[in-house]
Amino acid sequence: MEVLRPSTIEEALALSVGDDTYFAAGGTLIQLDWAQGLRPTRRLVRLDGIAGLGGIDIGPDGIRIGALTTLAALERHAFVAETLPLLLAAVKATAGPSIRNLGTIGGNIAGRRGCLIPALLVLDARLDVARTGVRQRVPLVDWLAAPREPDCIVEAVFVPASPAPVRWTYRKVGLRAALTPAVVDVAARLIASEGRITACRIAVGGGPVAPARLHEVEAWLAGERLDAVDWRQLHEALVEAIKGPEDGIRGIGYRRVAAANALVHGLGGRLPAWNPPAPRAAHVPRNSLPDEIRLGRAASGERWHVRPDGPAKIAGRLTYLTDVRDEDMLVGRILRAGIPHARIVHIDTSRAEALAGVVAVVTHRDIKGSNGFGIVVQDQPAMCFDKVRYVGDAVAAVAAVDAATAARAIDLIRVRYEPLPVVSGAEAALAPGAEAVHAAGNLQRELRFARGDIMAGFAGAAHVVEATYETPRQMHGFMETEGGHAFVDADGTLNVCAGGQHGRRDQMQLARILGMPEERIRVVSSPTGGAFGGKDELTVQPALALLALKTGRRVRLQLERFESVAAGTKSNPMRIRMRTGCDANGHIVAQQVDLLADAGAYASLSPGVMETALEHACGPYDVPNVLSHGRLAYTNNGTCGALRGFGCNQMSYALECQVERLAVACGLDPIEFRARNLRKAGTRGYLGQTVASTERLDEMLAAAAADPIWNRPRGLTPDGTEIIGVGMGMNYQGNGLGTLPPDPGGGTLRLAPDGMIEAALGLDEIGQGLHAAIRNTVAAELGCGHGDIRPVTGDTAAAPESGSTTASRGTYVVWRVAKEAAPCLADELTSAAARILDRSAQTLVVVPGGLAERGSNSGALLISFAELARALAPDGLPHAGVAFEFPKSDYFEGNARLIFAFGATLARVAVDRVTGQVRVLDISQHTAAGPVLDHAAYLGQIEGASVQGQGFTITENAVLQHGLYLTENLDTYIMPSIQDAPRSMAVFALEGLEADDRFGPRGIGELGIGAVTPAIANAVADAIGYWPEQAPIDPERILGALGGSP
Amino acid sequence: MTGEIGFGLNGARRNVSAGASQRLIDVLREELDATSAKKACGIGRCGACMVLMNGALTNACLLMMWQVEGVEIVTPEGLDAVAEAAFVRQGLTEENAFQCGYCAPGFTVTLTALLREMAKPDEADIRAALGGNLCRCTGYHSIIRGALRAVELRAAAVAALPEPA
Repeated sequence: MEVLRPSTIEEALALSVGDDTYFAAGGTLIQLDWAQGLRPTRRLVRLDGIAGLGGIDIGPDGIRIGALTTLAALERHAFVAETLPLLLAAVKATAGPSIRNLGTIGGNIAGRRGCLIPALLVLDARLDVARTGVRQRVPLVDWLAAPREPDCIVEAVFVPASPAPVRWTYRKVGLRAALTPAVVDVAARLIASEGRITACRIAVGGGPVAPARLHEVEAWLAGERLDAVDWRQLHEALVEAIKGPEDGIRGIGYRRVAAANALVHGLGGRLPAWNPPAPRAAHVPRNSLPDEIRLGRAASGERWHVRPDGPAKIAGRLTYLTDVRDEDMLVGRILRAGIPHARIVHIDTSRAEALAGVVAVVTHRDIKGSNGFGIVVQDQPAMCFDKVRYVGDAVAAVAAVDAATAARAIDLIRVRYEPLPVVSGAEAALAPGAEAVHAAGNLQRELRFARGDIMAGFAGAAHVVEATYETPRQMHGFMETEGGHAFVDADGTLNVCAGGQHGRRDQMQLARILGMPEERIRVVSSPTGGAFGGKDELTVQPALALLALKTGRRVRLQLERFESVAAGTKSNPMRIRMRTGCDANGHIVAQQVDLLADAGAYASLSPGVMETALEHACGPYDVPNVLSHGRLAYTNNGTCGALRGFGCNQMSYALECQVERLAVACGLDPIEFRARNLRKAGTRGYLGQTVASTERLDEMLAAAAADPIWNRPRGLTPDGTEIIGVGMGMNYQGNGLGTLPPDPGGGTLRLAPDGMIEAALGLDEIGQGLHAAIRNTVAAELGCGHGDIRPVTGDTAAAPESGSTTASRGTYVVWRVAKEAAPCLADELTSAAARILDRSAQTLVVVPGGLAERGSNSGALLISFAELARALAPDGLPHAGVAFEFPKSDYFEGNARLIFAFGATLARVAVDRVTGQVRVLDISQHTAAGPVLDHAAYLGQIEGASVQGQGFTITENAVLQHGLYLTENLDTYIMPSIQDAPRSMAVFALEGLEADDRFGPRGIGELGIGAVTPAIANAVADAIGYWPEQAPIDPERILGALGGSP
Repeated sequence: MTGEIGFGLNGARRNVSAGASQRLIDVLREELDATSAKKACGIGRCGACMVLMNGALTNACLLMMWQVEGVEIVTPEGLDAVAEAAFVRQGLTEENAFQCGYCAPGFTVTLTALLREMAKPDEADIRAALGGNLCRCTGYHSIIRGALRAVELRAAAVAALPEPA
């Protein structure tokens, strides 16, 4: 691309080569255009060298805003803020603060879809535009109506002075609270004289809605008396007049109604009629749980520690595995299928190989072992050979001297495909005659479970509720996309360093693919920038390994976000049909569940996810008669696998809504209804298995009952725009992989030559605070200081097998390693010190910094750890290790868990009557997971899971059409922003363990997400009497439930 | 079109040979091995790559090299030289604001820009300023607490300054 910087408009116009020219101001929009597939133009003409395109001139007739005025400058301009509040509202709704620092008013208009356009239309804005030889001022409305001209530059926007409007409104309806694409923008101004509307302007636009004035509606409204506007008729006229497309995310019906609502409401009209739901049995808050603690820096006091990796991360000094650079490092890139289902006819890499700067190209032909991986079933090719099954399937990879060359080489690889019918849904996948994604058929797994007599159960039910709940394809959304680097050592060891969640399993899977012994492969799997289950399966490791082996050089590779979206696993979308019955006393007597889950193209951990979901079919409740049936189907919809919660959250959503619906049917307080059904501590688990003691369901329910959230205002807000409700959900989450898979644990403590106490565990620091937990726990058991400990993790060469960093299992592993190995290490340390100090080991004790005399008041060090290490032979340093199997239960017919953590989540939400959107005001989470290893980490896990669960419930869904992602990046895949985060969050922990409990602190990585969705859904139902049966909650359905027009 | 492009990076003059339409974030990470600014979306929608351009908060992935000629860029590692950053870093550290930390440098740059602009931002100001920074791990409240702590730390430091004579 050629970039030119003219100094006059005439020069700029002369540089144009028609359609192949881009006139650039702030240059922010062009990036989105390119990302969305627009071909870069041959020539880019900068406008920032042209005098006179900036500045804001205030004259008697109006304001002239130079096209290059940034949105940030407009936002800060006192006169604009004072006289054009409508424009200011539009500016503030546009993009985010940093983008407003670059983006200009001219660019917003010239792109023809900016959020300022509706505002400027109702302000009667005119544009000063320049064409070759012509400079003129044209009304914006006319300019928009005329065909787009390539050789036309917007020089300025003129906003004429006009009488102050009696009413005005601007509203952007988006997909979240900040930095959101527009669903529809509306703007309107009414000018009135003596109570009669003399002039009005109404406009819509934003995103896919073509900007337009609604002339007919304006004409209809003009002349009306302000106090006698027929708002219902106006609403109907607006719905009729607004045009816009379907985009697979929001329908035109929703855009019309939301826009009409926003306009009517904004201009002072009535909102659609709303009848409050029938009053429900009120819940009366009870006494709080005395032993619960609230977590936070102030409240936690001395138990609040700064996490060891905090300062380096904040300063940008932590080197992630994707940040490693060195001189002769090659850059890798992977060729993705790009189509969802096809037979591979031929792969030709010759042109890529011939490109200067390309060092290696790898395909399936380079795989010496078994070309299939997968934690449960090895059905996913490392490099596709016979067919591709999803858009992100890996077909080839290249290593080149730099990123640009690697990208060019990828473009030169020719793959001839024979397209196959696309299987685009689980239902369709299982229909007779469906195209087979895998040779053995599309039914990946089918599970049935029955207890009691379901028919008799329903026969005895006084109330039955049946509903079908649907859940989204949630993306993990880790900020660091998959990537890392790889190299072969001088001794022939292959080093693969890429974010993961179980180094030794990655090592084993790589050994299978590469046909190499595991001992010759070292895997470094952390630190990594977030995982949430999405780095549990192999991601880029096979490509990195193949490239490093073939080139013999260091290779790095990191996925671009769009590639991560296409290639990475997501949660399994589920359709859960649930029929639940209770007797007249509110005892649940029957539960029937039919689950259909989309696996995407490969199994990965999806079978486990479905099994875990079904294990939670009755949640924390005792139900005598149960029948469940689950089917997991292969499709061409991306590929799915583990995500925080692992199926529990999906099932809890359905179940906890059913429970509340039955409570309503029985006329019972939802707390009381739950109390009548909670499983009894000490009884067998859902599958009949033994369950660890320290069950805390009664306590969690009591804590929920006592939560102050129930006392906060509910119902219609004072301004009438929102309806507030409170809801809750209960959950429990198993720790560990369960009875069926191998689930090893272990770790080593040792005195390092530099005097640090190394705690080596093969777990991964994925953000959860593993290192803080290790330091706290080992220090407490050993008696040394936090700062004496150096965690060594995420490296198969440096740490022993500890199992995976998944399934809320790391906490137990850390605790048990500390508990069992620390006393041994303490003995070794005291014995070694005793020999050197020539005194009895019994007189010595480990203290912060080293060893001191046991019982001494001064606590003075007799020898520091560093002195001790120096005094000992390097191969004679004290160490102690343990290895164990994660505790398992006694049921083996299916996968059962032994250890559980418990929780209750309460949400207070506001349902917007204009947009149908739901926002979370307050979240309160009660947890019982035994002793808290690290307060900050625990708090962070629960809060983070809470907002991730909020995303699942309200905004997030990776949408596919015919196997292709519509949501390709973070502009349309909508994770909550800080403006979406609840106004208040409170996290409580109940720490105690039963006297006979041998299992210590429970893991809490998943506990916080489990009950968020039902709490929000139940709060919506509390507000408006409607249970959302689809996550993310569809605002169109909410508007439907609220009633149509004013 | 590739050419020599000169700009200031954390106080030092840098000349790079780069295409005019290359993004600054790629030049920083791929050519200059400056990896403190992270790339997580590449289209200005996450804030992981925030830098200061002539003091103004900007996404390095939205800056093409033609926009960078002659400007002064400060990346997260360059914040050592910015007084406000010390309070921001300290506040965020004390509150354990981050988990995986990949978004942390970007948040730090944004909050530093906010503290340079406002004497005592409150929670609403902090939320408004951070509208373009996504974090997946924390649920944001720890970051809000950290930012408020930074404001408090700076206020305390200002109060402790000797009165001008």
